[in-house]
Amino acid sequence: MAPGSSSTSSPADPPAEQKLLPGAVDAPPREVVAGATPPRQMSDLPKDELEHLAEEFGLDPTRFKTRQQLVSAIHDRRQMIAGMEREAMLDVIRWGRRPVTRNASKEQIAQEIARIRTMKFAGLSQRGLLVLARLRGIVALEADPIPLLVKKLKKQESFFAKMSRKRRSMIASVVANLIGAEESAADYQFLPSPTASGQASSMKQEIEEAGLIGGITNRLKKTADSYVNQKLDEIEARIDRKLDEIDRRLADWRDKEIANRIRILKITLWASVIVGFFSLLYSYVKVYFVK
Amino acid sequence: MIVTIYATVITLQSLWGWYKMLAGSDRYIGLIRRYMVVHGLRLRFKAFWGDVVICLLLCVVFLIILYAHQIINDIDAKLNNHARPDPRRIV
Repeated sequence: MAPGSSSTSSPADPPAEQKLLPGAVDAPPREVVAGATPPRQMSDLPKDELEHLAEEFGLDPTRFKTRQQLVSAIHDRRQMIAGMEREAMLDVIRWGRRPVTRNASKEQIAQEIARIRTMKFAGLSQRGLLVLARLRGIVALEADPIPLLVKKLKKQESFFAKMSRKRRSMIASVVANLIGAEESAADYQFLPSPTASGQASSMKQEIEEAGLIGGITNRLKKTADSYVNQKLDEIEARIDRKLDEIDRRLADWRDKEIANRIRILKITLWASVIVGFFSLLYSYVKVYFVK
Repeated sequence: MIVTIYATVITLQSLWGWYKMLAGSDRYIGLIRRYMVVHGLRLRFKAFWGDVVICLLLCVVFLIILYAHQIINDIDAKLNNHARPDPRRIV
């Protein structure tokens, strides 16, 4: 390469000489558009994050053998959630008394519904039961009556899960009796929305107080702050998940290592015992038969 | 016997070395000590308790075989003494 020449050429620089194939039309030079980085695809996510995402949507990641199957299942689940009736989902939230804002997205609501583990379905509407059943992976039809949906939901629970639920219920009733806790009968209330209507008036006040530019700047700062805070929370949650994963892997490695060492010790002991037994046999023959 | 003594000495030396290292009052040594204690408490014995039981049983079998060796050696010595002629009687 000649001194001063560059190995890479900027896409914005116009080519000094254009070489065309014979017969090609000498078209005017077109503007070069910088390529945009595509958003991160679900299949690009690390395995542990994919599994976490699947769990958040109420899927059991251990049921899917390959990564592609898991991605496909999450995609299907998202599509199913998008096709659900929002009011029906809010019925489940009200029944399960989960903390959700009124204007939460369908996916957020579905994630909260996936965290509901109770098997007492009293008070839940038919459409709510339908949503709950579908999110628990049950094939349910729109026309299914309440008793059938409840039956399907109960049938889906495994024997051991049922036993552990009964055990927890028993412990809970004992603890509740000891502490004297009473169930709150107050009506369900949605969480206050972060973008409540109060903020519009605050912006008006800000503009009144700080002028147009100052008010808008303050508003932008607040929005940027809330965005950064949200992103920081997400990053923190990801770091926590990674640390948990590292801790889990370390624990697995430790247990495997100890198990391997003990297995080696067992093999050594078997060898010693076998050699000792033959030695004993030899001594016995020597003492009683040879002499 | 020699191998047993050698293995015991080496093991004790190693254990003593670990004890001396972990008994230090340095901050980081304390950290390692607590970390090891936590890992010890978090061990899942279910993964290898079967092998531990087998190892203990094999140790018992090994000791029984050792004891049987001693008995046979003892019998051998007694038989040798019994078979050897008394030199005073020959004279």
